[in-house]
Amino acid sequence: MYKFIGVRPCTFVYILLMVLTVFTWYVGVSGLSGLSFAFLVLGLSLLKGHLIGDYYMGLKTVSGIWGWVIVIWLILPGSLIAIAFYSAS
Amino acid sequence: MKNRNTPPGDLAIWIFIMAELSVFAIFFAVYAFTRANNVELFNESQLTLDRNLALINTLTLITSSYFVVRAVAAIRENNAKHCFNWIIAALLMGLLFLLVKSYEYNHHYSEGINLRTNKFYMFYFSLTFFHFMHVLMGMVILAANAIKTRAGNYTPENHTGLETGASYWHMVDMVWIILFPLIYVMR
Amino acid sequence: MTYQSQSVAKPYFIVAIALFVGQILFGTILGLQYVIGDFLFPEIPFNVARMVHTNLLIVWLLFGFMGAAYYLIPEESETELFSPFLAILMFWIFAVAGVLTILGYLLVPYATLAELTMDDLFPTMGREFLEQPTITKIGIVIVALSFLFNIGMTMLKGRKTAVSLVLMIGLTGLAVFFLFAFYVPENLVKDKFYWWFVVHLWVEGVWELIMGAILAFVLIKTTGVDREVIEKWLYVIIAMSLITGLIGTGHHFYWIGTPEYWQWWGSIFSAMEPIPFFMMTIFAFNMVNRRRRNHPNQAAVLWALGTAVMAFLGAGVWGFLHTLAPVNYFTHGTQITAAHGHMAFYGAYVMIVLTMISYSMPMLNGRKEANSNKSQIVEMWSFWIMTVSMVFITLFLTGAGILQTYMQRYTDTPISFMEVQDKVAIFYWLREGAGIFFLIGLIVYVASFFIGGDEPEATVKDAA
Repeated sequence: MYKFIGVRPCTFVYILLMVLTVFTWYVGVSGLSGLSFAFLVLGLSLLKGHLIGDYYMGLKTVSGIWGWVIVIWLILPGSLIAIAFYSAS
Repeated sequence: MKNRNTPPGDLAIWIFIMAELSVFAIFFAVYAFTRANNVELFNESQLTLDRNLALINTLTLITSSYFVVRAVAAIRENNAKHCFNWIIAALLMGLLFLLVKSYEYNHHYSEGINLRTNKFYMFYFSLTFFHFMHVLMGMVILAANAIKTRAGNYTPENHTGLETGASYWHMVDMVWIILFPLIYVMR
Repeated sequence: MTYQSQSVAKPYFIVAIALFVGQILFGTILGLQYVIGDFLFPEIPFNVARMVHTNLLIVWLLFGFMGAAYYLIPEESETELFSPFLAILMFWIFAVAGVLTILGYLLVPYATLAELTMDDLFPTMGREFLEQPTITKIGIVIVALSFLFNIGMTMLKGRKTAVSLVLMIGLTGLAVFFLFAFYVPENLVKDKFYWWFVVHLWVEGVWELIMGAILAFVLIKTTGVDREVIEKWLYVIIAMSLITGLIGTGHHFYWIGTPEYWQWWGSIFSAMEPIPFFMMTIFAFNMVNRRRRNHPNQAAVLWALGTAVMAFLGAGVWGFLHTLAPVNYFTHGTQITAAHGHMAFYGAYVMIVLTMISYSMPMLNGRKEANSNKSQIVEMWSFWIMTVSMVFITLFLTGAGILQTYMQRYTDTPISFMEVQDKVAIFYWLREGAGIFFLIGLIVYVASFFIGGDEPEATVKDAA
């Protein structure tokens, strides 16, 4: 039982997530296309997912395979999506 | 600093979460590969989507997830009242998401665009509708959590039910975080 | 047997086995008719034998599910069955109606049967697996509703468990979806669409709940693992079944005239239908590994493990092989389908009923926990003979199916259906051979009920 003092880590993560989201949106409305932007935006989304997994879902404090499941999940479809977009270009 | 070897919440929900994530992952991959065979169609149809509304939706879900994190933190600090308030705030964000999405769908339907229009729209509607249903389900779970919080069922030492609902909600958020760039932005 | 009223399960199980024997006899007739086309023609033409074979299967499995429920629910609810009299009454009604229907198939031309049963007043005949006259179907509904009422009232007055709840949901779903058998649209697309609401939502939907619940029950009883652990697994498994199986129905909507998106939805969701079966396999083996006791009924444990494995292979793996739309485009309606169908039905539903009978029949016959060693050994032999035979039936049909798909559809120079059938005939002969072995296994199974009855009950020391 204690009262938290200061800015919480989850708040920092929140702000970061919002910033990354706005950046992605910006890429979208600017119509920026091409493999580099696609990969950039994809990569950022995977990072966001990782942040949510570690900080929001609390997996950062989990040892063993359960601490890695989200990372694995992000990498697998992420890679497939990357391959698909690469083969489309 | 690792201090546990199972994730927060009931392990059963995590099995469920991984199963749901797998379905979405397959859907995402199939979308991406189908796009590779229909690049122009997908690029063209993608332009008709409203990225501004999607931004609002993404920010909404991230915010609601943040609120849920705050709710769990509150109960760990023995503040059930704040916990309840944070959950309500998260639910309101969820509701906002549903309303914006419904507005988007309505806009498409009024232009005669639906699941059968073309392959891109088939994926767009399928994926986002499927996600929509999960937002709904997540909200039902959170509402149950809110009721239990109000009834004093959670303590700082034992709030597994809340962590369970929170984990599911974060999954719903995470799916959208991938979905947003994949469907709305990447071209 | 803790509750006297559990004994009503016995007649259900006996008739189930009897109909099973009938089903397989007709199966062997059919297998021979594949290669000797006019075998038993015109007395028992192929289409009649087929109706008898498939309808007997479904009806004996229903008898098996009902018997399982009558045994399991009182024990789970810790109270006597609400009305044993009603259960026995329904038994006789179902049995008589079933026998009359089968005799109807065999003794009169189908069109005459339709006339005799006044099908034209409310036509529901003529669809695969739903060939029963409308009055039989109505009878089935009445029997099912009484059964659900009986079981439901029993549950209400007693302890509610996850096992009984899941079983009840599955059985209720079974009854509800059967109602679609009464919906026969004029439009052929809709006709086919809704037909699957009975068939798919049964075997790839609510029947999986029934199977899961019975498996969980037998594992609780034979391993002594904590109920909470087993029930948690059960919930996760059925959640996966429903998530994948409900929209997975779309894998039947690829080519019947429905919109194209079904090819996507059906492929993606049904591709994951093996997952719950995979989980059941892990679940079963895990629980047995973690057992707190060695149960004297080793035969039942063998059936339970075997069910999980064969269901995974037959329903899961073989189902997956032809579930994706691009593959199914070529394999649709071929012997691949038959291969999957046989192993899936046997692995999942035949075996779960036999598992339940294996577990409960000793007690229904007055034993404490298990049959004698001798009896169990004979029973286990029958398990292996039937199961290995089924594997070979499936392999042979798969071979036939692959060749058929290639020669009739995939190749650049396709040849006609009948020509292909001629060419794959060898596989049909081999299948028939395996089928005979299956019949032998079934005879050994029936024999196991009459062997070793005088010997003392197996004890844990006898067990492996």
